[in-house]
Amino acid sequence: MKTRTSNLDPKLLLGMFIVLFIVSIAIFQPFLNKAIIGNHNPLNISLFPMYEPPSLEHPLGTDRFGRDVLAITLLSTRYSLVIGALAGIFSTFIGIVVGFTAGYKGGSSDTILRTFTDALLVIPSLPILMVLSAYVKTLNILTMGIILAIFSWPYSSRVIRSQVMSLRESPYVDLAKLNNMKDYEVIFTEILPNLLPFLGVSLAGSIVGAMVAATGLEVLGLGPSGITTLGMMINLAIGWGALSQGMWNLILPPILVLVLLFVGVQLINMGLEATYNPRVRRQ
Amino acid sequence: MITKIFSNYVVKRFITYLLTIFVTFTATFFFFRLIPGNPIGAFILSMQQRYSTIVVQGGENVVEKYQEMFGLNGSLFTQYIRYTKNVLRGNLGPSLTAFPTPAQNLIITSLPWTIGLLGLSLLISWAIGILIGTLVGWKRDLLASKIVTALAIFFSQVPQYFFALILVFFLAYTIMVLPSSGAYNPFLTPGFNLEFIFSVIKHGLLPSLSIILTTAMGWIISTRALVISILGEDYLIFAEAKGLKPSTVLRQYVMRNALLPQITGLAISLGFIMNGAYIVEWVFNYPGIGRLMANAIGILDYNLIQGIVILSIVAVLTANLIIDLILPLIDPRIRAR
Repeated sequence: MKTRTSNLDPKLLLGMFIVLFIVSIAIFQPFLNKAIIGNHNPLNISLFPMYEPPSLEHPLGTDRFGRDVLAITLLSTRYSLVIGALAGIFSTFIGIVVGFTAGYKGGSSDTILRTFTDALLVIPSLPILMVLSAYVKTLNILTMGIILAIFSWPYSSRVIRSQVMSLRESPYVDLAKLNNMKDYEVIFTEILPNLLPFLGVSLAGSIVGAMVAATGLEVLGLGPSGITTLGMMINLAIGWGALSQGMWNLILPPILVLVLLFVGVQLINMGLEATYNPRVRRQ
Repeated sequence: MITKIFSNYVVKRFITYLLTIFVTFTATFFFFRLIPGNPIGAFILSMQQRYSTIVVQGGENVVEKYQEMFGLNGSLFTQYIRYTKNVLRGNLGPSLTAFPTPAQNLIITSLPWTIGLLGLSLLISWAIGILIGTLVGWKRDLLASKIVTALAIFFSQVPQYFFALILVFFLAYTIMVLPSSGAYNPFLTPGFNLEFIFSVIKHGLLPSLSIILTTAMGWIISTRALVISILGEDYLIFAEAKGLKPSTVLRQYVMRNALLPQITGLAISLGFIMNGAYIVEWVFNYPGIGRLMANAIGILDYNLIQGIVILSIVAVLTANLIIDLILPLIDPRIRAR
């Protein structure tokens, strides 16, 4: 057992390194910001001349409003992660409630909940998300997170349900039932603790899923107001004609951060699979 | 006996299909009616902005007239019945984007572009993904397979519209070999001639490439995983022990078993891929449903948005139904159940 866990998959390590790197950028953004542009708010306009090419002073140049692109990218990373984390936490929470109810209770409540989640899963969510974010008057980080969670919880609930169903049949749950434990006691003391690592992975997946959806909306210009996110950076850069004028420094940074994050989480998933799934490991 | 089970299955599946459509249709309707915001007010405001006329006198009459036109008079329930009847007759009500053109006309002109772009890209990427995925899984120890897998993992995580942006940047603006927006040369009149068809293909190349690249990578990864799990099965060892040619084993035993779950996967991923394709359309200014939707959202075009949402949902549900009905015909394992 010991050799198995200490023998970590290189994919897992690389993925964790990438994700931790981006998350720490988001956490230490205030300090990094100070190092790049001093005590200024990176969103303040006309701090610097506009459309400066990358230089030592501005490693990624400046944008149309004379803002430092590197500082904006760091701040956007922070906000994008917060939105993704909020949506991920909401959807994992709903997923836990629905998944546990369906998986543990079984029977007709399972049938009803499963039909409902399956229907939500196949529906193309973008048109409805577009409508929601267009109609919500003041779209802030919180409302954005809630809107995104509406369509991402079925994914969590589906996988959580199947895990609960398999754990429900395990001997220690039978033993707990024989000891006259109530349903909620079995769920909270027997099943939930055993599912925690799995729920962590599921949460990471929800966060990434929500970030993909959020970026899609923001690229279309339907992001929250008053802040900056990676998707909104892309939207602005397209609007300024950054593509046709070859200003890669405006459009590539947000894309790169997001792609790195998505790849990192995917690597972690594959690494965990390789470490803990004997079928994959054997090969 | 089998046919009886199968017809039972078809009937059951069809009832679920109709029920899901009914529920989502009803939910969409009430969702739009209960959402805060006043479509008539927005409409009159947009008319004022467009023609700089100010409706002061008889404003109430105007509002009433427009409410009737948009089917917003009467109680919520009568509105629902009326809207359902109209939709069944194929009438979605007037649009605001091109008032008073009915919304369904706008959708019908955009639909072929989306179906062509999305449908073709989807099938091509699926076929590429299955083929490469099978090969990569079959010969997974080769260096080339490992490189392809690593690349696929990387690129499958890139949203389609990121690819779209990068492709536009390099191919359309930096070396200017391909057009970056629209669906055909605007100086040509649409028609069935070589020049026009060539122009459509040339304009469709970049958007479809950005959909194909990312989507195919996802299929490569999942097919590879399937193939590797099939390679460990006992019946495969038996087939090899019988002395069958490796190519026969690959085609008859590996690919056939890997293909079926991937058909189900196609059905499940359809809605997700549609989301991405809508944004790709917007990036390339491609005159399909996605761009129509983005424009409609911009001016809160009530009837048009509602029509597109319902159409998208019905399209995905119908595709799912068709795949679910075809699957038992080609997969004996499902037929047996």
